[in-house]
Amino acid sequence: MDLKLRKPPETSSKASSTMANDISKNLKPDIQFIRFDSASLGYGVGQDQSMSEVSPQLVSQSRCFYAPERETKIKNHLGLSSAIDWNPRLMLSNLSFLEQKIHQVQDIVRSIISQEDHAVDRGNELAAQQQLVTADLTYIIIQLISTAGTLLPNIKNALLSTDPAVGQQPSSAVGTNANLSSCAGQKPIEILPPEVAKSSEYDELINDLDACAGEGDELINCLNNAGGAELSDSMPIDDHDAKDYDDGMDGENLPPGSYEVLQLEKEEILAPHTHFCLICGKGFKRDANLRMHMRGHGDEYKTPAALAKPSKEASSEPPIIRRYSCPFVGCKRNKEHKKFQPLKTILCVKNHYKRSHCDKSYTCSRCKTKKFSVIADLKTHEKHCGRDKWICSCGTTFSRKDKLFGHVALFQGHTPAIPMDDSKVSGAPDQVPASESTNGMAGFNFTGSTTPNDDARSLDIKGADDCQGYFSPMNFDACNFVGLDEFPRSVYEVSESPFSFLSTGSCSFIQRHGEN
Amino acid sequence: MNRQRPWDCDMATVFSLDLLANILDRVPDPRDRKSCRLVCRGFLRAEELHRRSLRVLRLEVLPGLLRRYASGLECLDLSVCPALDDRSLSAALAAGVDRLRLRSVSLSRASGVGWRGLMALVDACPRLEAVDLSHCVGVGDREAAALAAAAGLKELRLNKCLGLTDVGLAKVAVGCAGLEMLGIKWCLEISDIGIDLLAKKCQDLKELDISYLKITNRSINSISSLGKLEVLNMVGCSDIDDEGLQSLKHRNNSLRSIDVSRCENVTSSGLTSVIEGSNCLQKLNVGDCFPELAPHFLLKLNCLKDSLTVLKLDGFQVSASSLKIIGLNCKNLAKIGLSKCQSVTDEGISELVASCVHLTTIDLTCCHLLTDKALMAIGDQCKQLRCLRLESCSLITDKGLEYIGTCCSNLEEIDLTDCSITDTAMQNLSRCSKLLVLKLGLCYMISDEGLVHIASNCRKLHELDLYRCVEVTDDGLAAIATGCKLIRKLNLCYCTKITDRGLKHIGHLEDLHDLELRGLCHVTSSGIAKIAIGCRRLSELDLKRCNLVDDEGLFALAQYTENLRQINISYCPVSGMGLCMLLGTLKCLQDVKLVHLSLVPVEWFEIALRASYEKLKKLKLLTGMRKLLSPLLIEKLQLRGCRIRWVDKPPAAC
Repeated sequence: MDLKLRKPPETSSKASSTMANDISKNLKPDIQFIRFDSASLGYGVGQDQSMSEVSPQLVSQSRCFYAPERETKIKNHLGLSSAIDWNPRLMLSNLSFLEQKIHQVQDIVRSIISQEDHAVDRGNELAAQQQLVTADLTYIIIQLISTAGTLLPNIKNALLSTDPAVGQQPSSAVGTNANLSSCAGQKPIEILPPEVAKSSEYDELINDLDACAGEGDELINCLNNAGGAELSDSMPIDDHDAKDYDDGMDGENLPPGSYEVLQLEKEEILAPHTHFCLICGKGFKRDANLRMHMRGHGDEYKTPAALAKPSKEASSEPPIIRRYSCPFVGCKRNKEHKKFQPLKTILCVKNHYKRSHCDKSYTCSRCKTKKFSVIADLKTHEKHCGRDKWICSCGTTFSRKDKLFGHVALFQGHTPAIPMDDSKVSGAPDQVPASESTNGMAGFNFTGSTTPNDDARSLDIKGADDCQGYFSPMNFDACNFVGLDEFPRSVYEVSESPFSFLSTGSCSFIQRHGEN
Repeated sequence: MNRQRPWDCDMATVFSLDLLANILDRVPDPRDRKSCRLVCRGFLRAEELHRRSLRVLRLEVLPGLLRRYASGLECLDLSVCPALDDRSLSAALAAGVDRLRLRSVSLSRASGVGWRGLMALVDACPRLEAVDLSHCVGVGDREAAALAAAAGLKELRLNKCLGLTDVGLAKVAVGCAGLEMLGIKWCLEISDIGIDLLAKKCQDLKELDISYLKITNRSINSISSLGKLEVLNMVGCSDIDDEGLQSLKHRNNSLRSIDVSRCENVTSSGLTSVIEGSNCLQKLNVGDCFPELAPHFLLKLNCLKDSLTVLKLDGFQVSASSLKIIGLNCKNLAKIGLSKCQSVTDEGISELVASCVHLTTIDLTCCHLLTDKALMAIGDQCKQLRCLRLESCSLITDKGLEYIGTCCSNLEEIDLTDCSITDTAMQNLSRCSKLLVLKLGLCYMISDEGLVHIASNCRKLHELDLYRCVEVTDDGLAAIATGCKLIRKLNLCYCTKITDRGLKHIGHLEDLHDLELRGLCHVTSSGIAKIAIGCRRLSELDLKRCNLVDDEGLFALAQYTENLRQINISYCPVSGMGLCMLLGTLKCLQDVKLVHLSLVPVEWFEIALRASYEKLKKLKLLTGMRKLLSPLLIEKLQLRGCRIRWVDKPPAAC
C-alpha cells in the first residue's frame, strides 16, 4: 500500500512539539496497518475480537491526515476565524485520494468476479481478497468521515472552549457530552443550522456503505445516534457502571409512567465505542478516557474546565428518570412486554442485550468450554477458571466452597474431597521413622501383618473412599489417585494379586501409577 | 513340683465366673483388683471376661492386653500411652481377635496417630461409638475422613485438632449421621459453612461444643434447627451477638445447658431470648460477657424457676438486689459462680443463700468485699455445701471459717488461696472429715500445727496445695504423710523450709501422682531418691529451681519412677549424663521441660532427645537451642507430633 506516501507535506513543515509527537506516533500504526493488509488475511470478517483489535490502528492511521485540519482548528481557537473555516484544497486532495482508493477496491472486486468463473478451489485466496476489500472499504469510510469531519470540529471547539458564554448554553446536553453524536444532535442544529445538511449527508453516505461490516459499525452507529431523535444527548455512563453487571433494576419498583423509556437500536447497543475524538476519530468507551485523550491534541484541552467531568448543574429542575428498553421484541425487557421490566443504564442494556440475544462468541482459552457474550464475563471467569479446587466425591467441581457445601447438603452420601496438598503433608510423618524404628516394633510392616483379604479391603476402601457409589471417571482423576499416590508401596503389589478383580478400575490405575 | 495349690482350682469350681466377676465389681481400687488377679486363676479369668475399660500406660503391653481382654473390653484409653503411632496401633489392633467390641476409644493427645491408624481402628472396631481425639493438634481432614467410615459413631471429640477444616467436618457429618455429641472447640479453621452442613446432616446432635470458633450468627441460626440439642457450649465466640441468640428463641425447648461465657458481644437481651426459647434450661454460664445484669434478664429467670441448677455469672457487677432476685427466682440452684464479681457484698450473699438452700457449690473467687458475715450466712443456710471457693477473699478470717467447719460437714473442697487465715482455721476445718481438696496457697501464716489438725481428721484428702506456705516444715509433712495417706496431688512449691527429711515422709504417700517441689533450695538428690523409691505411681514431677538436685536424683527417678510422664528440671544443676539417663530410660515420659540446664552441653541434649524422640509429646527448650540442635532432630520430633515450646527466659531470675 502506498499510504505512507500520502502523508500531506504540510505536516512536516509545521514543527510544533505536539505535532512532532503525533507524527512519530502515527508512523508506527502505519506500519502495522500495512502488515494487517498484507499478512493477516485469516481474520474472520466481522469478528468482534479481530475488529476491536484493529480499529484503533485504523483510526490512528487516519490521524495523519487530520494534521492540517488540526492546525486550522487551533487557529480557530486563537480567534482567527469564524465557525466554518476549512481548507478546500486539503479537502480536494483528500477526496481525490478517496477516489483512487475506491478504484482500487473496484479492481479487486472485479478480479474476484473473474476468478469466480474458472477457479473454484481457491477459497483461501478469495477470503483473503474479501478481507482486503473489507479493510479498504472500512478505511474509505473513515477517511470520508474524517474529511467531512473537518467541518464539525469547529462546533466542538466552540463547545469545549473555556468561553463562559458558550459553556452556559441553554442546551445543557451539549455541555455534558461533547462527542460527535451530541454535536450532530438536534439541539446544536438550532445554533448552527448549516451543519444539519452536512450531518444528514454523512448519514446517507454511511447508509450507502452499510454493507461494509465490522469496523465501520461503530461509526455508523455513532452517526445513527446523532440522527436518532429519541436518543438522549447525554449518555449516563459512569465509571462505576462498568463494574455493575446487573441487567435489571433489582429492588427498584418504579410505577410505570414515572420514568421515560428509551430504546436503543441493536447497532447502537453493539457499538464498541460511544465517544469519539473529533480530531482523530479514535473511539472510546468512556467520556473520561476521551477527555484524557484530548490532552494530546493541544494545550487548550488541558485546562481544568476541559478536563472536568461535564456537570449537570444547568438543569436545576429534578432530573427525569430515564429507563431503557431492550430492542428485542418479546423480551421481558422490551417495552411491549406485558411485565416489562426496564433496564437502568445504557450499560445494563448493552450487557443484557449481549448476554440474552447475542451469540456467545468469547470462549475461555483455558477450559475451551465456557462461552460468553460479554467480554467482562469472560475475564471474570478466566480469573477463576482452572482453579476449581472444591471437589465433591461425585466428581463435580466448584469454584466456591459454599457452592460445594450446598451441593453436599443436597445429595445424600456426597462428601467434599480432600485437596491434594493436604494429604501429602499428613502422609509424610510416617515415612521418616519407618526407616529406623529400633524399638519393640522394629520390623513391623504396616500392611505386612494384615491378611490379604484386609489388603484387598483396604484397597477397596481407598478406591471407594471418596465416591461411595458415585463413581465417575472424573472423580477418579480428581481425588482418588491422591490417596493412592501416598499409600504404602505394598498396595501397589496387591494390584497384581488374585484380589485385584475386586476393584478393577482402581487397580489398573494403580498399576499405571505405580510404574511412574 | 507341679502341685497345684489346693484352692486354686477350687475357687473356679466353687464359684461361677459370673459370681467372681460380681465380687470383682465390688473392688473399686485397681490395686486391690490386681491383688485379686494375682491370687488365683479364677479371678484372672473372671476379670478377662468382665473387664470393660482399660487405660494403657505402656505401649509394649497393648497387643497382649487387647488379646486378653478382647471379649469384653468396651472402653480403651490410650491417651497416656507413650510412643503410640499408626504402625503400633494397627499392629496392636491386628493382634487382637478378629473383631474387637470396643465402643469407646480415647486417643486424646496421642499425637503420633494419623489417618492410617484411625482407619485400622475403625476397621477393627465395628461397634465404635465414641472417639476422643482432643489435643491431637496434627489431626486434620484426612483423619476426620478416616473416622467418618465409622458410621455408628455417636460421640466425637476433636477439640484442638488444628488441621480440621470444613471439609473434614463435612466428612464426619456425612459419614456419621447418628452423631450425638461433637466437640470441635478450638478447631479454628471451621466456618459457618461447615457448621451449617453439620446441622443439616446430623439432626440427632445432643451436645455440641463450638467454643472459640470464628463463626457468626449464621451458625447459630443453623444450630437452632437441631431439635434434640441439649448442651451447647460456645465459649469465646466473639462474632456472635444477640441477633444470633435470638434465633434460639424459636426452637423447641430441648436445650438443657448453654455456655456463652466470653462471648463479648452478647448482652442481656440475647440471653433473655435464649431463656424464652428454652424454658427447661438447667445450666447457664454467662461469665465474662457483659458487665451488668439488666433487670429484664433477672426477671426472665423466673421462667427457669424449677429447672435452673447451675448459674455462672463470672465477672458481673452483681448488686445485692440482683442476688436477691436470683435467689427468689431460682430456688433449686445447686451451683453458683460469682467469681470476680467484685461488687458482691455480704448482704447479697445473705439474700441469695436465704432462698437457695440447696446450694452445693459456691464460687466466690476474688469477691474482695466479703467478710465473715457472708460465711456465717452460708454456714447457716447451705448445709449441703460441698465446694466453696474463697480465693483472694482477703477480709475473711478464722472466725468465718469456724462456721463453715461446724455447719458444713459435707464440705469436700475448699479453696483458701491468698486468704489471711491461721492454724486456728485449720483446726476448724478439720471437722470436715470428708474434705478431699484443700488449697492453702499463699497462706503465709499456716504452719505445721495447722497441718497436724488437718492430718488428724481429713483422712480422705486427695489434693493439698501449700504453695508458698513458708512456715511449713518437715514435721508438718510428717503429719500429713501419716494422716492423709490418699493424697494424689501435692504442691510444696517454695516451701523453703522443707528438707530431705520432709521428702522422706512424702515418700510414704503411695498414691502420689503429682508432686510440685519448685524452688526447694534445701532439697538434694537423696530426698528426690526417697520420693522416687516411695512414690511409684508418680507421673508428674516439678523440680524447677531445686538448686541442689543433680544427676543422682535423676538416676533415682530413671530407675524407680517408671510411670513418670511429665517432668520439669529447668535450672537444675544436672549434667548431660543425668539427662540422657532420664530421657532414655523412662518409657512413659512425654512432657519435658529443659530450660536453662547450663551444665548440659548441646551434644548431650541432642543425644538425650534422640533417645526419646518417639515418646515425647511436649518439650520446652530455650530459644537459643533452636539453632544449636540439628534441624533433622527438630523435624523428627515435630513429625511425631511433638510440640516444642521455645522460650526466652533470663538465666537466673528468681
